[in-house]
Formats: sequence, C-alpha cells, structure tokens
Amino acid sequence: MKTQRRPFFGLFATPGVLVALLFAGAMVMVLQFSVRLQIPGSLDVGGFTFRNFTAMLHPLYARVFLDTLWLCVLTAVFSLVLGYPLAYALVRSRRVAVKSAILIITVTPLFLGEVVRTYSWVVVLGNNGFINSLLLDFQVIAQPLRILFTLTGVTIVLVHVTLPVVTIMLAAAIAHIDTAYEKAAESLGARPVRVFFTVTLPLSGPGIVAGLATAFAWTFSAFATPQLIGGGKVNMISNLVYQLGFGNFNFPFAASLSVAGLALTFASIAVLRLALRPLEKVGP
Amino acid sequence: MAQPRSGRLLFWCGRLVVVAVLGFMILPAVVVGIAAFNAKALLSFPPQQLSLRWFVNVFTYEDFQVGFRNGLLVTVAASSIALVTGAAFAFVLDRYTFNAKRVVEGLLLAPLVVPHFTVGLGFLILAAQIDMSRGYGVVILAHVVLVLPFVLRSVQISLSNLNPKLELAAASLGARPGRVLLTVTAPLLLPGLFSGWLFAAILSFNEFTASLFVTSQQTQTLPVAMYNYVREYADPTMAALSVLYIVATATLLAVANRYLGLGKVLNVEHTR
Amino acid sequence: MSSIPVDAETKVGAAPDLAAAARAQDLAVRLDGVTKRFGNTVALNDAWLQVRRGEFLTLLGPSGCGKTTMLNLVAGFLFPDNGEVFIDGALVTDVPTYEREIGIVFQNYALFPHMTVASNVGYGLKARGVAQREIAERVTEILAMMKLAGLEDRKPGQLSGGQQQRVALARALVIRPKVLLLDEPFSALDKNLRSAMQIEVKEIQRKLGVTTIFVTHDQSEALSLSDRIAVVSEGKIRQIGTPQEIYRRPANRFIASFIGEVSVLRARLERIEKSEAVVQVGAASITVPAGPLAGQSPGITVDLFVRPEQLCLASGDVALEGQVATTVYQGDHVDLYIDAPAAASTRILMRLPSHDRVPGAGATIGLAIGGHDATAFPAVES
Repeated sequence: MKTQRRPFFGLFATPGVLVALLFAGAMVMVLQFSVRLQIPGSLDVGGFTFRNFTAMLHPLYARVFLDTLWLCVLTAVFSLVLGYPLAYALVRSRRVAVKSAILIITVTPLFLGEVVRTYSWVVVLGNNGFINSLLLDFQVIAQPLRILFTLTGVTIVLVHVTLPVVTIMLAAAIAHIDTAYEKAAESLGARPVRVFFTVTLPLSGPGIVAGLATAFAWTFSAFATPQLIGGGKVNMISNLVYQLGFGNFNFPFAASLSVAGLALTFASIAVLRLALRPLEKVGP
Repeated sequence: MAQPRSGRLLFWCGRLVVVAVLGFMILPAVVVGIAAFNAKALLSFPPQQLSLRWFVNVFTYEDFQVGFRNGLLVTVAASSIALVTGAAFAFVLDRYTFNAKRVVEGLLLAPLVVPHFTVGLGFLILAAQIDMSRGYGVVILAHVVLVLPFVLRSVQISLSNLNPKLELAAASLGARPGRVLLTVTAPLLLPGLFSGWLFAAILSFNEFTASLFVTSQQTQTLPVAMYNYVREYADPTMAALSVLYIVATATLLAVANRYLGLGKVLNVEHTR
Repeated sequence: MSSIPVDAETKVGAAPDLAAAARAQDLAVRLDGVTKRFGNTVALNDAWLQVRRGEFLTLLGPSGCGKTTMLNLVAGFLFPDNGEVFIDGALVTDVPTYEREIGIVFQNYALFPHMTVASNVGYGLKARGVAQREIAERVTEILAMMKLAGLEDRKPGQLSGGQQQRVALARALVIRPKVLLLDEPFSALDKNLRSAMQIEVKEIQRKLGVTTIFVTHDQSEALSLSDRIAVVSEGKIRQIGTPQEIYRRPANRFIASFIGEVSVLRARLERIEKSEAVVQVGAASITVPAGPLAGQSPGITVDLFVRPEQLCLASGDVALEGQVATTVYQGDHVDLYIDAPAAASTRILMRLPSHDRVPGAGATIGLAIGGHDATAFPAVES
C-alpha cells in the first residue's frame, strides 16, 4: 500500500543516489589521499601522514594561497560593480530586442568554456595583441604594455569569466522585486537616485550576497585563466595542484592542497555571508 | 513626460555604463574574430591581409578532429545520462520526503561550488584506485557529475511551476500514475527538460579543467586539445576555432531564447 | 428529514444506528469517524458524514476548517489516519483516486493546457480504454449539452472563464462518476458570470441526478445551491441540515453568526415551555427555540441573535431605542447601522427598502423585532 502512494520512487531515486555516491566517492578519495605519503615515482601511496599539510606553510605555497584569495576578492567585487548595471538594464529594459541582446551577450561567454575565453584575452592583451597594437599605432605608448603575466591581466580575465554568472544572479534578484515598492517610493516624492539607493539596491541584497559568493567560488575554481594569462608568474591553487599532480606525480600533496583550498573557499564564503548578513535579511 | 534633469543624467550615465560593460564582454570575441582572418602567422592589428587559411587548419588538424569526436561522444553520453538521472531525481525531490533527502540533493548540487580541478583530481584517483583504465567511462562519469546540477535545477523550476491539480485531475479521471506521468507531467515539463539538456550538453562540450585531469591522449576532448595547441603554437588557428565556437554557441542560445525564453529559464524574467 | 440542532460538543450524525444501516444503499458517500492530521495540526477530527444518492450537499466553512481535507479524502488525494471512507457502499479508504470513479472540478479548473477541449473531455474515457468511436460520440454529446459545440479543437488558453468551467464540468461528468466533487469552482469567476454558472450547474446536476459534494466558504452560494449544508469548523461538522434549517435554526453561536448577517442583542430569559422559550428585549417578548437554552434558569441574561430583516422601525412598544450611526445605500435597500448601547455592545444592522423614508445619521429611532426566526444562546462574557 505504501509503494502505491509513492509511484516511481525507487526507480527515479536510484540513479540520482548512485551519481551522488560516485561524487562522494571521488571526494573521499581526495580526502584520503591528502593524508597519505607519496611514494616517489609511483602512483601508489604510502602510510598515513600530516606532512602534506605542514608542507603548505612554506612561504612559496603560502604566497599562492594569498594570491588566490586576493584574486577571488578582487574578481568578486569588480564582477558585482560591473554586473549590477547590466543586470538592472536586463530586467528593467522595456524593449525585447535590448533584453535579448544583453541576455545573449551576457550568457554566451558562460557557455564558451575557459579555454576559448582565455585564449581570446591572450589575443587582446598580448605584447603584439590588440590593445598594445592600438596604443602603439596611435603612439600613446612607445613600449608595449605588460598586461599578460601580471595580476592585473589575470584579474581582468577572471572578471570577464565570472561577470555573466554574477549578472544572471543579480538579474534574478532584481526581477523578483515588486515594482510597486519603487512606485510607492516615487509617489512619496523620492527621485530616481533616491529610489534606487533606498529601495531597489537594498531589496536586491540577497542577490548581491549570492552573486559575491558564487563569483568567489568560480574564481577559485579557475584554472586555464591563471595558467595561460598568469603564465607561471601568477599562480593560483588550481595551477599548483595540476603541476604537483602531472609535473611531480605527487598526488597526495595535490590532494591535500585541494582539500585546503576547498576548506578555504567554504570558510571565506561563510565569513562573507556572516559579514553581509544584514543584506540578506531583506524583504518578505 | 518631462523628467528632472538629474534623473535624465542618471539615465544616460547608466546607459553609458551598460554599453561599456557590454563592450568589455564582447571585446575578446570581436578581437578574435579579426585575428582569425589575419593572413600572417604572427598576431598583428590591424591585419595586413585577409585569409581563410586558419579555418582550413582547424578542420585539418588531427588533434582537433579527434578532440571533436571524443567531445561529441562524451557530451551526448554525459548530457543524456544527466538528463534522465537529474529529471527523475528532481521529480523525487519535488514529490517525496525520505531519509537523507537533503544530503543526496546537497551532494548532487555540490559540483556547482567544488572547484572542477578538485572534481577532476577525485575522479582521476578514484579511477586509478578501482583499476579503471583512463577510458571514456571516467570522463563521461565526471561530466555527468559536473552538469547534473543544471538539469536538476532546470527541471526543479519547471516542476515547481507545474500546477499539481493537473495531475490530481488526471488521476480522478481514472489515469494510473504511469499514464499521468506520460500524458500530463512529461509533456508539461518538456521545455524544462529540453533547456536542462541543452545547458548540460553545452557545458559538457566546453568543460575543460576536470577533463584535463581525467582524459588521456586517446580520450582528450576538444577543449583539452585546444589548450594543448595554445601551449605549443601561437598561430591564429585557435582564433579561427574560437570564432566557430562563439558563433555556434551564440546561435544555439539565440535559438533557445527564441523558442524557450532564456529569461524564463534563467529565472531573470519579471514576475509581475 | 428534520435535523436535530445539536450542541457544538456532540457529534452530528454520530455512530450509524440500525436505521442508517438499513438505508445504506441510498448513500453515495459515507465518512465514518475520519481523522486526518498534518504534522501536529488536526485537519479533521472524527468526522461523520453521510451523503444521499443524488443530493447536492455543501461543505461550508471558513478557510482552514477542514472542508477541503474532507473533499480530498473522498477523492483519494489524501488518506485518513483513522476512520473509513465509503463510496456507493464500497469501502474505498485505501483505494487510489484512479479507481474511485469520481469527477472533480477545481477552483481554477486544472484543464490540461497542452490538450484540446476534445482531448481534455475525452481523457477519462481514454484512460478507461473506451473505444475511439464511442469516445468521440460521448464527447460530442456532453459538449453539446454544455453548450460547447464547435470549441472541440480549442486549447484551454483560448477559452473564456465560463467556457473553461464548462469544459471542466464536461470532463468530470462524461465518465459518469459516482460522485461529483466541486472544489470552490465559482470563486474564479466574476460576479455576473458566477450566478449564471451557479444556476446552470444546479440544473445539470438535477437533470443528471449526480450526487454532488460542493465545497465553499461563501454562505450565500451554499444557501442558494444546496439540498443540504454541512457546516464545518475546526475539523468538525457542526450542523447538517437544509438551507432553511441552517439559516433559521442555527445550532450554535458560530453557525448563527457565520451564516447570514446577524446582530447580537442583550435579552432576559422569561421562561422555557417545551420546545420554545420566551425572551424579553425592552418592551418586546420574543419566542425562540428552547434547544440552545436548555437547562438555563429564567431571569438570566441571554444573547439574542436577530437577522437584519427581522428588525423594523416602530413607535410605542419598542424592543429597543438607538441612534443611527451610518446609512449605506445598497441599491434596492439601505443598510442602517444603529448604536444602542443599552441593548447591544456592538452596532445593530437593519435593512429598509430604499424607496422608504430612511432616517438619517444621528436620528433616534425605535426598533421592533418581528418574525420568529430569532435565536438565543446563553450569554458569554467577553
């Protein structure tokens, strides 16, 4: 009798549970590799150790952690500042053509993948690239600007990578604000600027927090961007993990870096949410 | 309607900012578009001579051909598995309460926040530990895990917009659960199912970081082949391929927007 | 077919006696001591209900009272924690919806948006494996009866509200259900269309003789459509009876104030004689049913519930004097709200035909109480 009232339950739940278990299995593998000894020259691992985590305290690695965090913060903030006007225009524009154009331009990069996007920026920012050629031709500069392989360059491209998702999240938040609130504020004599800063912006608070958190997590996940734009001069944890794994075959250390990175992301996002809690508690 | 001057100023400033940000978004695509038609191997602006040779190169370079075939195989398999699994699980999440419901849902959505390199590393180690060769299997499974959240979310949104009374009405008319599912639920979920599958497919085809960890020379997908190409060569072949990529993706999305309403799918449409 | 007004504490139509068992074959739907909980809240508490074959029974009550839960239990959308459900004499407590042979019309009709009118109406027949040709015939027949001929190939989105409702009704009736369930089907319609549809539904129901359970929170709808009304509140059936019985002999204070408009006056109990009691308001003596006052001793203060139409202007032996606070023009009549602190703690509502000379706000007037429909209940301290 019970099964009859839950049609398809077993059949429909099983594949999802299997995939969840698969993912959990992969994560458990990372976790258990992170506390194992490396056997040089072998993909097998030795006994239990915490040495991988203590090794991370070396200034070389600490530097990468700090760079990663700093890049995440910069990217999240810039994505928010640039993404908000775009999201606002996307939701509030009255013309369907404008809406569609903004939507397609914003969403397409989201689906392009990191390699194509990063490569495109190499063409834009490189020494013989678009910007330098332009500036040299108009004799604004005498020497090509060094943007590639710098923190600035990496930040520009990371913002380009996270901007779409932040814009979409902000747009979702703005779309759910009842325009009656804004009309009410206007009817009470508030000018557009005041309406925006006293009604619209505060009511999109939850979207802002979600957008910042997502930008942070996505930036942390970036690999091709710091790899190609940073070119070894600017490294993020992802690059270190790849290099340790495929360069040195030190998978236990790569795993422990991943674990530390994951812990750092979650901790940072938790701190962010805690700090911005007043923003989230808004509206009905 | 006369607006106060400060309002008009703000309006135009806002417009300017929006246009500038859109310019920033579209700049690399435009630049790559120009570079792709440059006749010379060295990047230079503006191009002195135009040529289609890099497009020819794209189609004749063997790694790209293999990568495209591998990518297609992985994408079709992974997005289809993710569609079936995700849609079925979204249904279960919508209808039933059960032990560990939140845990399983959390695990399935976690790849949205867990870095792809960590997921890739995990699957690499997992495959090695259970003596699974680095074949297509592990690539497909990793992709299923990574794109499933998008199917799950998309179908969940469609399910929450579905009027539950429709299914009750069908049942009251004598339709058994299977018939209700096939004649009422599934047809009404079709847009959500399709957009979920489309997102999953595009994301899988373009997935790079995790693929770099789990693919081998034989199974490498197109983005991995592209990455390797960029590291080795500096000619505009990649620019040509990027142009193809951008055009294909934008076209797909424009079509999806036309028929599905991306705004609705992405939940950015005005609710009132 | 008289119902016995009962106190709120006693069960209505409690445990089936021998007579009820003998009539069992006349019952289309029976709920026997049904209880339904959602978490810690009890939606329905030991409810007993018997719906006779062919009758139009209304479950009336405020929102959240349990009436929709009762409907869902009959439909098989919910299953009771305790008690049994019978349809047509057969135990269906654990039978799934699709085997219950019921028809239901929801508030927003729940027409399948991706199917045409014909497919919507034919859906139940197809699910039963009826032959294609017979489906076509029966669909055409019912659509003609519902004045929907010619709309077969439209989608629900292309229909007006009234047409949608007719399609929903056709879809539910074409399968010849053992019981038709109506879940607030008129509340989505605007006022004019609503009364037209009410008349239409009532006519079709009578013509087909289909047993109907109608759920509503609108008491005027219940009074005008029903053969019998079951008033539900807080998970219990408080009174079952014909509309007249419910309106004229409410079993308790809740029903008296929930059905129709009512003003509460302070009165003094004079005496109780068999089934009648006499109460005194000002200089007027009024006869009320004795039931609700059973066991009360003469001389105590009671609350007298009077309908607006029972009050009239008078001079001489007036029941009470008061001052007109506000008059509200209603077209065919005028509502007068009267302050009479000596006789009532809240404003008294009375009605005058609008062509009469209506006293203005501030005027002092005398009121008499006419008719025999007033009811009194022991006073409650508030």
